[in-house]
Amino acid sequence: MNVAQKVDTRALRTNRFSKVLSTVGIYAIAALFLLLGILLQSMGLINNFMTSQNLLNIVDAVSLLGIVAVGMAFITYSGHYADLSAPTTIALTGIVSVELLRYGFISAMVGAFVVGLLIGVINGVVIGKFKANPIIWTLAMSYVTMGIIRFIWVNKQIYPDIITDDVRAVMLFDNIYRFRLFNVLSLPLIFMLLLVVAGQFILKRTPFGAQLKITGSAKRTAKFSGINVELMVTLAFVISAFTTTVAGLAITSLSRVGAYYNGAGYDFRAVTAIVIGGMTLAGGRGSIIGVLGGTLVIGLMNNIMTLLGVGTFSQDIIRGAIFIMVVGINAKTLRSMGRDDT
Amino acid sequence: MGISIKKGKSVSIDSIGLALKMVGVGKRYPATIAVDNVDFEVYAGEVHALVGENGAGKTTLMKMLAGSFNDYTGAIFINDKMVRLSSPSIAKSYGIGMIYQELSLAQPISIAENLLVGRLPRKGLFIDREKMVREAKRLLKTVGLDLDPLLPIEDISQHEAQLVEIAKVLGTNPCILVMDEPTSALSREEVDRLFAIIAKLRNRGMAIVYISHHLPEVFQVADRVTVMRDAKKVATKNIDEVTREEIVHMMVGKSIKELYKREERQMGKLRLEVKGLSRYGFFHNIDIRLHEGEILGICGLSGAGRSELAQVICGVEQADEGSVVLDGEPLDGLSMAKRVVRGLGYLTEDRKLEGLALRLAMDDNILSSVIPQLKQGVVYNKKTGWPKAEKLIKELSIYPSDLDRTAGNLSGGNQQKLLLAKWMAINPKVLILDEPSRGVDVGAKMTIHETIERLAREGSSILIISSDLPELVRLADRVIIMRKGHFTKIMEQDECSEESLLLAANTEMIV
Repeated sequence: MNVAQKVDTRALRTNRFSKVLSTVGIYAIAALFLLLGILLQSMGLINNFMTSQNLLNIVDAVSLLGIVAVGMAFITYSGHYADLSAPTTIALTGIVSVELLRYGFISAMVGAFVVGLLIGVINGVVIGKFKANPIIWTLAMSYVTMGIIRFIWVNKQIYPDIITDDVRAVMLFDNIYRFRLFNVLSLPLIFMLLLVVAGQFILKRTPFGAQLKITGSAKRTAKFSGINVELMVTLAFVISAFTTTVAGLAITSLSRVGAYYNGAGYDFRAVTAIVIGGMTLAGGRGSIIGVLGGTLVIGLMNNIMTLLGVGTFSQDIIRGAIFIMVVGINAKTLRSMGRDDT
Repeated sequence: MGISIKKGKSVSIDSIGLALKMVGVGKRYPATIAVDNVDFEVYAGEVHALVGENGAGKTTLMKMLAGSFNDYTGAIFINDKMVRLSSPSIAKSYGIGMIYQELSLAQPISIAENLLVGRLPRKGLFIDREKMVREAKRLLKTVGLDLDPLLPIEDISQHEAQLVEIAKVLGTNPCILVMDEPTSALSREEVDRLFAIIAKLRNRGMAIVYISHHLPEVFQVADRVTVMRDAKKVATKNIDEVTREEIVHMMVGKSIKELYKREERQMGKLRLEVKGLSRYGFFHNIDIRLHEGEILGICGLSGAGRSELAQVICGVEQADEGSVVLDGEPLDGLSMAKRVVRGLGYLTEDRKLEGLALRLAMDDNILSSVIPQLKQGVVYNKKTGWPKAEKLIKELSIYPSDLDRTAGNLSGGNQQKLLLAKWMAINPKVLILDEPSRGVDVGAKMTIHETIERLAREGSSILIISSDLPELVRLADRVIIMRKGHFTKIMEQDECSEESLLLAANTEMIV
């Protein structure tokens, strides 16, 4: 008798199966890339794909990108797209840590985190409280941090072993990237796995994660539900800055040099991994496990393209095209389900 | 069957043309059927009233006529010719004129330019000002206005703007004119003047569809009336063959007695005290005393500061002066989160933007305000809230009832019930409801009203802000009239009727 009883159910078909598929799907794609690598090797088009050294290279690259992506995913989830200041945060925290190595390893670490978290807090407060556009603001932030690096260090690259004579500190710093537990597990890999587990838990099993989901899905509704939206957004940016700092230390340890160009390209690669991993740019959807899958796909793809001899710039074009495609497909699927994300 | 026209003439169908005939028309939205297999006929020279509760499908039916949908089902005939009204320009070309509740005039430009938009007279490259003014004056005269056509719209009053809107539509020479609540912004004399214009247009042979909530007006102006309920047509009657009670009965599917059956409630101790609350520019020096089990209504036009008052009480915005006391404990300076924990909830007016997260599931929505209360240590698992959510879904008969259903796919009425469920989840001591049943179907409205009464019986205090007068009459123990940020009058329940509230609101409007 009542209109509500005659609901048209065609638009309602999003079931658990499609949810599972969207998470598993990204790992299926990663597996396909692995198979593709094996296939290309057996056809003789690439060498050295299935060698332990190459697989380790993939894991290491995935670890560094994964650390950045896990943190940045919180920003995407909160409905604020991405942190474009991630590359310069990597550069700045790296160069600060090298500079402070002269006062010992601990000072270097503390200094890097102070600087990194400060950037996160500023981003978070400006975007969360003063409602700045996240893309424009973090872009501005990246210019400011780059300016700071250029102002203080000019174009200098600074090397840990030249900065200090403290051999132990230099060795510890070098080992951030090079230490391997049981000769296999690198510290970045361990960090990334820990961050994935912690991130997944925070996102799906804590009050913060639940409130962030509402914030990302419907900001005004969150505000009128008694959720401290400003705090949620600030925390998302701080989490991103934290993991970016971890990556900054690992990347600087890898290159053994503190320089302004460390971390270039990590912003876009991280967003691509996040979006491919099923977290929509509209916010409130997806998981950290999915982001890890997205990172794996990006890592495998990069590796295969490099082995195939595809140039760096061509790789950029391909990654850009894939990003556009995924965002497009995503928007189209949502629209056809009647859930337009605009 | 003949239709009677006022002034005693009775005219047969043959002698009067059928201006509009809609046969078995329907329109479905993704989650609801808005118009279901409706037949609707209007004769030339007839004023045909279309009445029904909010969400009954009147507006959708008329939008169909205006060419807003290209996917309606059924057939539409205009002057015995079958037409397909798939776009607004096609509808216009068949002589369909629409006057909506919301004015469509551009503010900073002149009356004349608004009246003649899209067909301004030209002289070469330039606008022929003289001709424009002459033409505009002629149009204004048809609605009895004597204004300078070069005045900008923002300089004329709202009722003049309403008449200009009508003149603008008349300028396109429509043969079918649809008016959606044209009197909502008019005073009594202006309404009378409008009715005189309508009578003149009818006598000239125009077919007029008149949509209104206000039944006395319908009896004053209409020749026939069609009642819609739940997307369907209930009946079409000659106006002198029905009584007001019968129309209400058809609109709601219940007799007035059943509808206004009240159960006695017990009022307890003082719960919420608002003392001298002000937010500059919005409301001033507001005092409220709300008791346990009491339902207090706030009646006023939108823009009177009602929603702003609610936002300050619930803590989303801060007060400039005054204080809010809940159970003897002052709440000033506390965030909304802290007030929610103390049992103060605020159901927002705009359910799509501020009430629900439409992209999330029902359980996420129902539990969105109680996340901090449901956590165990640092862990939050929404499953712990499921029994509560399921109970609320059942109590409010929300359909479909699966917890993982996306809120955006529910019908408007079920979304509104979901929103109420979300605020019932906090076990409210005080619940502020801002337009709790706007734009929902009658069934959902009944459920919402019964639930509000039950909450009050169980000891919650309710502050209900509404423009829906029957809603206030039915629910409230006292009604406060609010105008331009001030409380101007308090009416006890025994003096509250739809008419007295309307009168109070109208008087306030003129003052």
